[in-house]
Amino acid sequence: MTATDDRPTMIEFKDVHKYYGDYHALRGINGTIKAGEFFSLLGPSGCGKTTLLRTIAGFEDISSGVIMIDGKDMADVAANVRPTNMVFQSYAIFPHMSVEENVGFGLRKDPRSKEDKARAVAEALEQVGLKGFGKRAAHALSGGQRQRVALARALILKPKVLLLDEPLSALDKKMREHMQVELIKLQRQVGITFILVTHDQEEALVMSDRIAVMFEGEIAQLADPETLYRRPATRKVADFIGTMNFIPASILSEAGDKVEVEAKGLGRVALDIAQAPEKTGETPVVGLRPETLTLLYDDQKAPERETDGVIDEVIYFGDMTYYDVYLGGTDVEVRLSMRNVPGRPVLDVGDRVRVAWSPSALVLFR
Amino acid sequence: MKKAPGLRSYTLFYLLFLYGPILLLPIFAFNDSRVVAFPLQGFTTGWFAEMAADQNLRNAAKNSLIIALSVATISTVLGIFAARASVRYRFPGKGPLMSMIMLPLVLPEMIVAMALLVVLLSIGIPLSLFTVILGQTLICTPFAVAILTSAFQSLDRSLEEAALDLGETPWSTFRLIILPLVMPGILASFLICFTISFDEFIIANFLGSGQPILSVYIFGQFRFPAKVPSMLALGTLLVLLSIILLGFAEYMRRRGIAKAGGKVSGGFL
Amino acid sequence: MAQTPRSEARTGLKLISPTAIYVILLLAVPLATVLVYSVMTGGRGIVSFPLTFENYAELWSKSVYGYIMLKSLLVALVVTAATVILAYPVAYFVSFHVKPERKSLWLFLITIPFWTSYIIRVSLWFVILGFGGVLDSTLAVVGLQPLNLASYSILSIIIVLAHAYAPFAVLPIFVSLEKVDRSLLEAGQDLGESRWVTFLRVTLPLSMPGVIAAALIVFIPTVGDYVTPELVGDGKEPMIANLIETQLLKLQNFPQGSAFAVASMLMVGIVSVAFVLWNRRFIGGSK
Repeated sequence: MTATDDRPTMIEFKDVHKYYGDYHALRGINGTIKAGEFFSLLGPSGCGKTTLLRTIAGFEDISSGVIMIDGKDMADVAANVRPTNMVFQSYAIFPHMSVEENVGFGLRKDPRSKEDKARAVAEALEQVGLKGFGKRAAHALSGGQRQRVALARALILKPKVLLLDEPLSALDKKMREHMQVELIKLQRQVGITFILVTHDQEEALVMSDRIAVMFEGEIAQLADPETLYRRPATRKVADFIGTMNFIPASILSEAGDKVEVEAKGLGRVALDIAQAPEKTGETPVVGLRPETLTLLYDDQKAPERETDGVIDEVIYFGDMTYYDVYLGGTDVEVRLSMRNVPGRPVLDVGDRVRVAWSPSALVLFR
Repeated sequence: MKKAPGLRSYTLFYLLFLYGPILLLPIFAFNDSRVVAFPLQGFTTGWFAEMAADQNLRNAAKNSLIIALSVATISTVLGIFAARASVRYRFPGKGPLMSMIMLPLVLPEMIVAMALLVVLLSIGIPLSLFTVILGQTLICTPFAVAILTSAFQSLDRSLEEAALDLGETPWSTFRLIILPLVMPGILASFLICFTISFDEFIIANFLGSGQPILSVYIFGQFRFPAKVPSMLALGTLLVLLSIILLGFAEYMRRRGIAKAGGKVSGGFL
Repeated sequence: MAQTPRSEARTGLKLISPTAIYVILLLAVPLATVLVYSVMTGGRGIVSFPLTFENYAELWSKSVYGYIMLKSLLVALVVTAATVILAYPVAYFVSFHVKPERKSLWLFLITIPFWTSYIIRVSLWFVILGFGGVLDSTLAVVGLQPLNLASYSILSIIIVLAHAYAPFAVLPIFVSLEKVDRSLLEAGQDLGESRWVTFLRVTLPLSMPGVIAAALIVFIPTVGDYVTPELVGDGKEPMIANLIETQLLKLQNFPQGSAFAVASMLMVGIVSVAFVLWNRRFIGGSK
């Protein structure tokens, strides 16, 4: 994770709205994307992330607001002159051209000599690991190879921003994980701003410097992966990213930077105000990630707090075991995960257990 | 596949019914008798010679060729405009306009011909090959639109966006990406419109003001029993020509869809 | 090419305009003219005011006109029924009993005759059915009495039209049969229905949209056919198209001819709408 704050701004959204007829697709997008950043737009389908990406590329006009790229208002700038290039979800490889012709397509009006262009194409192909594939016909490529061609074709123009529209969604799991790493390496190497659209939270967390989580045309939270995971701004974000247990709670007092709550099954907890990001008016709950909960074996002592429980369900995953546990004689059930290390037996349904937890791992949604 | 011998033989019988009359064409075109009836009288190529020597027929064929080439060109161009607009853009009045363009498919041809004839006569435009071209273009355009629509539809929209994204203008995108990819569809449309126009009778008859046009000429000649054998010789050639053109059109259509990365299904229309 | 809906609409309209203008000038305007003429006063070669429904009244009052319209309608309906019924088993065979990769070949074989000159096909029937023609001479060779079908004009017309439009019927039925979910048929048989009952209760209703489409595709051109009555019927059994021709061209009575044209369009329209409404029944009212 690199610090991003000192980098200059590459893209700025100011109150961007987009309507399709009556449908309000983007509802006041604000935010900045820094130069050289690996940025992700993450959200469920229909949340507006692809629309936002396409407004950056210039394929969609915005209904109101401003999009600036590198300090220039893009209002009257057509897609073909914007300093952005796109890797399409379908890759959009021109089927009637060879790999070489595809990659060199954007150089048609480039004043360089034929030889220089051919060299640039060869370099771009090498950069994406397709050295020697130039003469191949486009339709004879595998999914992964098509994607590399699409990447090379976009990068050869040295855009200020590379837009990636769900580029990995068509690949199988192994290939996808492999390409994630390659994309990160590639981005570091070329230093261009990458904007990735994805619905896969894991992909976003692995690859991005910062992530904008979108729901229903709005950015719910814009933060780096760690903040997003540890301090989700709303219950919806928390629910979308990873797994989180939600425990009903009531607020007892709020004074200065401390909030005291009574969480069902956990008891009274004093939280730092930083753990209660913003008021959204929902019924108060506290959130706990499964890995912040630990089962105590034998006479182990809890470093901070502990609560009794009964195991309701055991889900064995090989390296991990997930337990669903009723807390302290209540009907509140939490999921927790334990690494299966030697000397740590897998427990059974109905076993009475002690659960250790830390108040600092809690997040309060209210 | 389950076996269905009954259905299978019925289908073969049906095909025989469909092809029966056409199969008679070559049989009697080479039959050495002016009377078209069994039993056969022996082999001759005389009817082909008689046909080739017929000056009126050659004239009619030339006129038909001029008409068919013009109609195929104009219909295909009009079809490109309409198909591209309807596949790619949303605009007000699209439904009614497209229905109007496709209307000749569901109107009896006689009505189209007569309505056009009434207007042409009323405003005093003399009937000629040109008016035949005008009328037949109306009939052929819906076919062109149908074929080209499927060609444009099999085109991935992001190909176009990719070209724009890589710096091309809308026009150069059309020229470099869209046109090459729909070219097989364009050729198929051209060939099918050509075939339809070449065979078309009603408009040729009523808007042609008695100019010799092949279909009209054939229609007239069949009334004279003496002319029938040479017409059968002509028919043999025309059927061969149709089959060759259509086979080629279908081949182009399939290649087009395959080229654009689509899956081929169905046949014509 | 950033596009607001408005500029998209403009581009779309601009693009479609050549075709649209062509069709408006050469189809919409003429059809409208025919409509107007049909309520004007006519004589030989003249069209004049006042507006009148005389031409339509003429159509009703003269039984010969009514007879021709009705005859055309009946001939077209018989041809449509015959064509569709004959085509259904063929479409069924190709859809259910032909290997997927061979289907296009079969369809191609079925469609080829349609693309070969209509005039030649119809004229061939003239030669086949005519006096001493191929059919009767064949019968004579095997020692049977000639049928002299040519003297039964309407029957000949029906045979020829049914043949001419046969390929039209197979395709739409085939397409709708292809869409029938095969697992539904297995479900039907799984629930203990015989194959025949499954066909009647599942396949046939599901393929009705294709049947109706086929019926429309055959009905419309047959009802307006000109060549067959002229050639095979030897002009003795005129149908609507021949009637319109007589009025418009031979008698030069534009208003009367226009009224016939409009009336026949109405007839085609009404029958088509009836077919479409019938179709609705089979797809649960939702289009």
